[in-house]
Amino acid sequence: MQKLIISNTPHIKSKSSTKRIMIDVLIALVPATVMGVVYFGLYALLLVALSILSCIASEVIYLLIRGEKFKDILNKFDFTSAVTGLLLGLNLPANCPWYIPLLGGVFAVIVVKMLFGGTGKNFVNPAIAARVFLLISFAEAMTTWAVPSVGAIKTSTVATGATALGSVIKGERVISNLDLFLGTGVSSGALGETCKIALIVGYVYLLIRKVVDYKPLIYIGVTGLMTVVLQGSFSAFLPSVLSGGLMLGAIFMATDYVTTPNTTVGNIVYFVALGLLTALLRHLKGTEVVSYCILLMNFFVPLIDRFIVPKPFGYQKPKKEAKNG
Amino acid sequence: MKNNPKDLALDGLIRQNPTFKLVLGTCPTLALTTAAINGVGMGLAVTFVLMCSNMIISLLRNVIPSKVRIPAYILIIATFVTIVRMFLNKFAPSIATAMGPYLPLIVVNCIILGRAEAFASKNPVVDSILDGLFMGLGFMIALTLMGVFREVLGAGTVFGVKLWNFKIEFFTHASGALFTYALFIALFVYFYGLYSKKSKRKALLADKKEVKA
Repeated sequence: MQKLIISNTPHIKSKSSTKRIMIDVLIALVPATVMGVVYFGLYALLLVALSILSCIASEVIYLLIRGEKFKDILNKFDFTSAVTGLLLGLNLPANCPWYIPLLGGVFAVIVVKMLFGGTGKNFVNPAIAARVFLLISFAEAMTTWAVPSVGAIKTSTVATGATALGSVIKGERVISNLDLFLGTGVSSGALGETCKIALIVGYVYLLIRKVVDYKPLIYIGVTGLMTVVLQGSFSAFLPSVLSGGLMLGAIFMATDYVTTPNTTVGNIVYFVALGLLTALLRHLKGTEVVSYCILLMNFFVPLIDRFIVPKPFGYQKPKKEAKNG
Repeated sequence: MKNNPKDLALDGLIRQNPTFKLVLGTCPTLALTTAAINGVGMGLAVTFVLMCSNMIISLLRNVIPSKVRIPAYILIIATFVTIVRMFLNKFAPSIATAMGPYLPLIVVNCIILGRAEAFASKNPVVDSILDGLFMGLGFMIALTLMGVFREVLGAGTVFGVKLWNFKIEFFTHASGALFTYALFIALFVYFYGLYSKKSKRKALLADKKEVKA
């Protein structure tokens, strides 16, 4: 005879969990990481590894200090800090000093995430906040971009050059769109953002796994269109979309579940505002601003959620009272 | 009301520390803690003004009509701030320039006006001077600690002496100031909690012993 099981709701459970989603994101970032290592050499791999290690170690040490048992921490470990670390690593220039990912990881996990209550409570995206922290702290090291060297994997230091975006904004066509797309030629940038095709492969994987949806495309599209408006020519669309950290930011960092609005309408407002802001600030400042824009819009998410609330199921607007006389 | 000097000292330095516990005078705290020496200078200036203004206000506490007390306090405070400013301009012009507009702004510093209103206008002269001294010292210690923290991390120096080349420039910016302030308040509240728990337990034990005896 079967036992009667009495339990609380919900009775139907999905296999989806934080851990599963985070592992999906990690898998989606593998192509970008591999291409980063191919372009920039083994030192890039070391930077990414250091960044991930620093994030995970910060989380474990913080929890140990808080008095949790090591076994519990292992059971609860859900790879969010690994994703943070990987994203942070991909956001670094390929030739920055080794202590930058270490410090960034500590800042991202301890200050932005753990002090505010751990996974799901971070007030902004940890990787973005850490990148901005590092940009402010080590302005020179964080803006000296390496030029990718395609071919044999190089372990020596790579040559440095101006970022692709700077010249694109000035209207100079130094780099062809294909070079920007593949990350070859002289299109320099952060470790994981140069090879767009790898990022797109990751995006398609996330789309299939239903981790993210079409909304990052709104961000990318609006940025491109706004740039066209600002520069007055349609040839500005592709370079602006393909250069800088726009794709990496739009697909992997702006879509962080914790720091996006709860409703569909709210999400659309959020991504459109991000796109407008990015194009406008890029135009005014002449440098890459994606990380600042995402940070800024993350602060607005509670505000968006406050004003755009979902309609309860079956809700009907109260009829206006007929005017008397 | 009788004030014990030990209580006054503990209030000013720890229990009602103007920076970390009352969160007063935040503008100079955020703006001037980029270097430890600025913190010391600002702290000393405020301590001097606070002691003198507390003394005068306490002396005049029965003379000043309560309807115009705030303008009267401001007048007294401004007098001493002007003296400090002239003194610094003459003998330490580098510190005076480093403090910039925050030196004349001591006039409207919440700590000084707050102590005038809350303490000096109700208490005898000697107590008011002591209160001014310890409140000022509490402010100075807080500013110096934050200044050392931000200078070591942000510029790699302590009181202008070079330690190393490693700099995290974040801590010299305004964002670093807010971050440091929050961090110090959090640490202060944490340690204060430990301290007050201990002293409460001691008081409880003492009470029990008395009952037994």
